[in-house]
Amino acid sequence: MRIVVPIKQVPETSAVKMDEATGTMIRDGVEAIINPLDLYAIEIAIQLREIHGGEVVAISMGPPKASIALREAIAMGCDSAILISDKAFAGSDTWATSNVLAAAIRRITIENGPIDLIVCGERATDGDTGQVGPGIASFLDLPVASYVCKINEITNGLCCVHRMVEDGYEVLQIQLPTVMTVVKEVASPRLPTLRGKQKAKKVDLTIWDVKNLALEGSKLGINGSPTRVVKIFRPSVARNCKKFIALDDNAIQAAADRVVGYLQEKKLI
Amino acid sequence: MKTKGSIKKRRLRYNHMTPKLAAELCKISGEKYVIYDDKEKLEPYSHDEVAETQYAHMPEALVRPGSTTEVSSIIKWANRRKVPVTPRGAGSGLSGGAVPIHGGVVMHMDRMNKVVEYDRINMTITVEPGMVTNDINDLIKGDGLFYAGYPMSLETCYIGGNVAENAGGGKAVKYGVTARYVIGLEIVTPTGDIITLGGKLVKDVTGYNVIQLMVGSEGTLGVFTKITLRLMPLPKANVDLLCLFKTPDEAIAVVPKIMTAGGIIPTAIEFMDKTSVQTTCQYLNESIPYQQAGAMLLITVDGPNAAQVEQEYEAIGELCMKNGAIEVYVADNFTTSQRIWNVRKNIAEAFKVISPHQSLEDIVVPIASIPEMVRELQVLSKKYGVSIPCYGHAGDGNLHATPVMNPAWTLKRWNDTLPNILIDLYTITSRLGGTISGEHGIGHKRKKYMPLVVSKEYLGMLRSIKKALDPNSILNPGKIFNTLA
Repeated sequence: MRIVVPIKQVPETSAVKMDEATGTMIRDGVEAIINPLDLYAIEIAIQLREIHGGEVVAISMGPPKASIALREAIAMGCDSAILISDKAFAGSDTWATSNVLAAAIRRITIENGPIDLIVCGERATDGDTGQVGPGIASFLDLPVASYVCKINEITNGLCCVHRMVEDGYEVLQIQLPTVMTVVKEVASPRLPTLRGKQKAKKVDLTIWDVKNLALEGSKLGINGSPTRVVKIFRPSVARNCKKFIALDDNAIQAAADRVVGYLQEKKLI
Repeated sequence: MKTKGSIKKRRLRYNHMTPKLAAELCKISGEKYVIYDDKEKLEPYSHDEVAETQYAHMPEALVRPGSTTEVSSIIKWANRRKVPVTPRGAGSGLSGGAVPIHGGVVMHMDRMNKVVEYDRINMTITVEPGMVTNDINDLIKGDGLFYAGYPMSLETCYIGGNVAENAGGGKAVKYGVTARYVIGLEIVTPTGDIITLGGKLVKDVTGYNVIQLMVGSEGTLGVFTKITLRLMPLPKANVDLLCLFKTPDEAIAVVPKIMTAGGIIPTAIEFMDKTSVQTTCQYLNESIPYQQAGAMLLITVDGPNAAQVEQEYEAIGELCMKNGAIEVYVADNFTTSQRIWNVRKNIAEAFKVISPHQSLEDIVVPIASIPEMVRELQVLSKKYGVSIPCYGHAGDGNLHATPVMNPAWTLKRWNDTLPNILIDLYTITSRLGGTISGEHGIGHKRKKYMPLVVSKEYLGMLRSIKKALDPNSILNPGKIFNTLA
């Protein structure tokens, strides 16, 4: 079974600060990590390889330092990794990113043979869109199962999965190759081991740029992105406190009734 | 000629707080900063983080001084009026040190929380005692400096409390404990005099080393009003290793090898025995294969750059693998590091699910005796039918063995049995060359067990010092040992 896991390097969540003036994220001096939700995709991919054999390839579109995230993926147990890096990719939205990642997956197919599964994390903790996984599927014209929380069995090129939906689970049977985005319930990520780290250090990362992927310049980066971040702002939180004061024990019931009345009036209960 | 019974134990005679005395206190500190005759507001000051309620005691009043001279005036007033004064920091202590067991006044230092002087060139910072220790590090990290005496656990503790307890923590292997970094103090003595000790000097031998007498004095010998700390260059890289071993013996055998054969002093070497590991991993739903692990080591290395740290962690990891580790996990980023430290930090919480009644102990033994201690704890655990998880700082032998009440027991049975468990525990500790507190202090929680580990003469010396400095037994009486009036 050949699996590709697209991952993203994101700023460590608890350290994120916003530049109020420009509305952009301050990335200087903030530690970069693998998008925490991608760890679940890496884990389930490794588990599937352990059952079915084959290989897991981690790919990431990002600046050169995204190689740290890819090496961490190898330390966890991925077999190889490809960094997709070019200045032309800077500022890509989810559409442009999906296009680039799809092109990379096409090239992996051409070079090393067909891929059975593409597993993505549910969304990235910085952009928070959850669109890149389905975007890849659309560019590659593959079926997609989002919010996968359980992979039951894979036989005869068919895969049975549980999707987490608002009111329960949806059980789907999908034909491989397919794209999946997985939620936390799918598996518990393993930790990178010493041996894994040592292996990852020695691995030569493959790096692909625009030329390697034969991509059209007009569909890349900030200029090739159909969507634009126009404004980022911090929503103001307003808390209006209303006090109902009971002056003595006898007044408590009356005050409680007024609280209930108030909540009913506001349609809160 | 003096005979054994000639030193008569006299009850400490203190005056109770009265409206008149409370008014006098208000005159010194202002009404706004005094609480008197308000049980609800005074209750939070009746205990620290020690869970057992029998160690709590209500204060009669609370005062929050705003300056050194105010502290001095309060202490002088207390001497005149024979009212005991118990200084208090954030109340995160673990030995009952800030509990006013003779009533009287609790002196909360929270208002004195300012930086007096931050001297980057001399690499020192002088702060007031109510400063949150974590804030000191937040303030100076931008300059590439840090205060290395910071204990590992709480982000709420005050520096004053740290100095009073000579707090330690996870980083003691490499950086030592609070005492190493305190180079200057301004104190108010138990009789109300203001004295300055040391300063920004690295060397100072003018007279007795009173600073070090004050550090760890648990609020019994003086109230710190200014504290000068030595700062260190902030390490730029750090990596944590989580190492699983089959047995505690194997885990502990690696510890000295890291320092001798490996030539590396890690920042922290935390040990967790089988009971701690398994209960906590289950509690956290942790997926690491802990079922086979009889013990875990959590080792941190830090240094000036990533390359050096990498070299050190690889060397340590290899040593562990060569010495029987089942697996070594590496955390070189915040998320992974947080995940593996979570196991260590959630031990107490995990056992609270089994029973909220537990006695967090703080024994310290020579490092080589840790495996024997762990074996003895298993024997004790069987003997009394209680679970005694053991975890702590393997690098310095400081173990938090924690008897946890058998959930099938009544609270009475637990309270009746615990002293016997502790006597056994401390007797074993003493036999192994250890003592009953490494970093939490004696307070009043452990004072009755002091004779198990120290000589009569030593206790006598402590009493003489106390008596010389605090003739009226005003400052935090009844801590470390019973104070005679």
